[in-house]
Amino acid sequence: MSILNDISENLQRGKAKVVKELVQQAIDEGIPVQQILNEGLLSGMDVIGEKFKNNEVFVPEVLVAARAMNMGAALLKPLMAEAGVKAAGKVCIGTVKGDLHDIGKNLVKMMMEGKGLEVVDLGTDVDPDTYVKTAVEQGCQIICCSALLTTTMGVMADVVKKADEAGIHDKVKIMIGGAPVTQSFCDQIGADKYTADAASAADAAVAICQAAACA
Amino acid sequence: MAHVIWNGESRDVQPGTRLSQVLPRGAVETPCAGAGRCGKCRVRVQGQVSPPSPEEQAHLTREELAQGIRLACRTLVMGDCRVDLPGARGGDQIRTGGSMPDFPLAPAFRRWGAAVDIGTTTLAARLYGPDGRLAAEAGAPNPQASWGADVISRIGAALQGEGAALAASVRAGAAALLEEMAEKAGVPVEQIDAAVVTGNTAMLYLLTETCPDALSHAPFQADRLFGEETAAGRLGLPCRDAAVYLPPCMSAFVGADITTALLASGICNSPGTRMMADIGTNGEIALWAEGHLRCCSTAAGPAFEGAGISMGMPGKDGAIDHVSLQGGKLCAHVLGDAPPAGICGSGIVDALACLLETGDLDETGFLEDEEALLLPPVRLTQKDIRMVQLAKSAVCAGMRTLLHTAGIPMDQVEELAIAGGFGSYLDAGNAGRIGLIPPELAPRVRVLGNAALSGASMLLLNRDFRPAAQALAAQAETVDLTSSEEFLAAYTEGMFF
Repeated sequence: MSILNDISENLQRGKAKVVKELVQQAIDEGIPVQQILNEGLLSGMDVIGEKFKNNEVFVPEVLVAARAMNMGAALLKPLMAEAGVKAAGKVCIGTVKGDLHDIGKNLVKMMMEGKGLEVVDLGTDVDPDTYVKTAVEQGCQIICCSALLTTTMGVMADVVKKADEAGIHDKVKIMIGGAPVTQSFCDQIGADKYTADAASAADAAVAICQAAACA
Repeated sequence: MAHVIWNGESRDVQPGTRLSQVLPRGAVETPCAGAGRCGKCRVRVQGQVSPPSPEEQAHLTREELAQGIRLACRTLVMGDCRVDLPGARGGDQIRTGGSMPDFPLAPAFRRWGAAVDIGTTTLAARLYGPDGRLAAEAGAPNPQASWGADVISRIGAALQGEGAALAASVRAGAAALLEEMAEKAGVPVEQIDAAVVTGNTAMLYLLTETCPDALSHAPFQADRLFGEETAAGRLGLPCRDAAVYLPPCMSAFVGADITTALLASGICNSPGTRMMADIGTNGEIALWAEGHLRCCSTAAGPAFEGAGISMGMPGKDGAIDHVSLQGGKLCAHVLGDAPPAGICGSGIVDALACLLETGDLDETGFLEDEEALLLPPVRLTQKDIRMVQLAKSAVCAGMRTLLHTAGIPMDQVEELAIAGGFGSYLDAGNAGRIGLIPPELAPRVRVLGNAALSGASMLLLNRDFRPAAQALAAQAETVDLTSSEEFLAAYTEGMFF
């Protein structure tokens, strides 16, 4: 459908106002909300995510595209609740205790929302207990931790430990990322998934949520 | 036991030992502190070692792996093996020179005095004679580099029980500079009876073996700011009885090196509005306006130091340090009498400006071709460009945010003084073109050289500067960028060209 295509194209160019208008128009034309979301907004973010992974576009393009997506998604949200449309999964995300870097974490959040996941943003300087408590209370399938300092990445091990202690680690997966983090570190602390960039993190999160839904 | 041989030396170690821990400290470069992230610790290995790790597969091509090229930090010794270390490294270009304003002499020393700058990357020093004349200079890489190129890696190591080793390492480095200068001047090193040692906050913590826990995590409140005198013997320096002054730091991220650089820059002596920036792994920026000093520190990352860039290297022999366009074609200059081996910070800035000019690089940072060949085999990849975009935008956004916080328009800034080694070789026009500094300020740039060391020299040559330095550090207002909306907006926007 060409209007959905237009939504996707304009989203990729970061034209938030146009996206908002087109989404409203699509709603008025009676196109199902799920279809507007998937074939308009999310397909546009998919293209951006893929280009980001390949270094074809960079942080600013992702930020403006995400802003456009959120403008459109805001119109769809109440209708989706009405129609009983459920998110593909639920995730909580934050930068660990002692660390204030939030740009990378925000990128991951946007990419995950772009994949249709519901994301609870815990901000920066997040206590290990807060991740676990949020995951339990809000029914998240994944805890995502970000750290940008070699001196704070150790906190991720505490998050894993807290999840083990709370007995939720078999149900809730722990994903980690950030410049100093490596696959070896992920293995060492017993986290479930490391990804090197925001787009891969979103792909991995979707895969985990799908696996959880099938289980 | 496994027998490991390298360059004529050998050692027996337990199988399972990491190769980087077998080799002598400093034998390979480990800017990422051995986390397998930077790919700079390449060696050629023959014999029984662990299979290539995922990190090595990411950093090394299939051909390289087939030739036995490995990352020393990711390779485990499993049995007897032989290691070829990379060849002897070329001479580093370390800035010991720098401009100072005129001032009367009132030396802190009676016979000989030394000024030392403990930089994260390099150490630099000057020796002054009885009449206040410069007698010798010396420079060397900071030997702590084997614990990682960045401050945070070293703080992390200190917190894991390496504090004494880190202190010993930098003390030995500083001692060697003093010995070298004394020898050049033909005096016994014990004749040095006073010294000023400057450096960023973390470097002074590590030098004095102060526990750096407070510097390792938010809220980053330094619990020691120096501005004090101690005996050289307590810092392991050979002129044991000399009085060593450690100038005051302003905060966890804005150190004594900025205090001394400000002194040398003279920007705080004028009634006008002036800025100073020291661009390294961290970009420290100071704004002097209406008698008030504001400072901030911005995480530029190591791109301009050559780390994190596929063919990046420090400014030494074999590094492309400048690039220009001649007849529409890229023309690269290589340092020293060596074949091109990589590119250093000033070369990267020039290269990007040229690629923008030729249209090979668009304003979003997209390379028309997958990579840009500068001078075979040196090239910049798309990923390299992205690293530079992050770095340059962090510095420029720091400057814009500082001005915004003070409510001062850009056109009111009379001067941008640039301190530090990287800044000394920087083409200001190209720095403006790529948005490392606001383009409006490019014509107003003044290059200071090693201003931190010059300021330390001033504190050595005239005692009366000490109260001024203390007052300056005490009055400085630190602007926190991490919580600034303005910074985030400027940072995102500034990533474009």
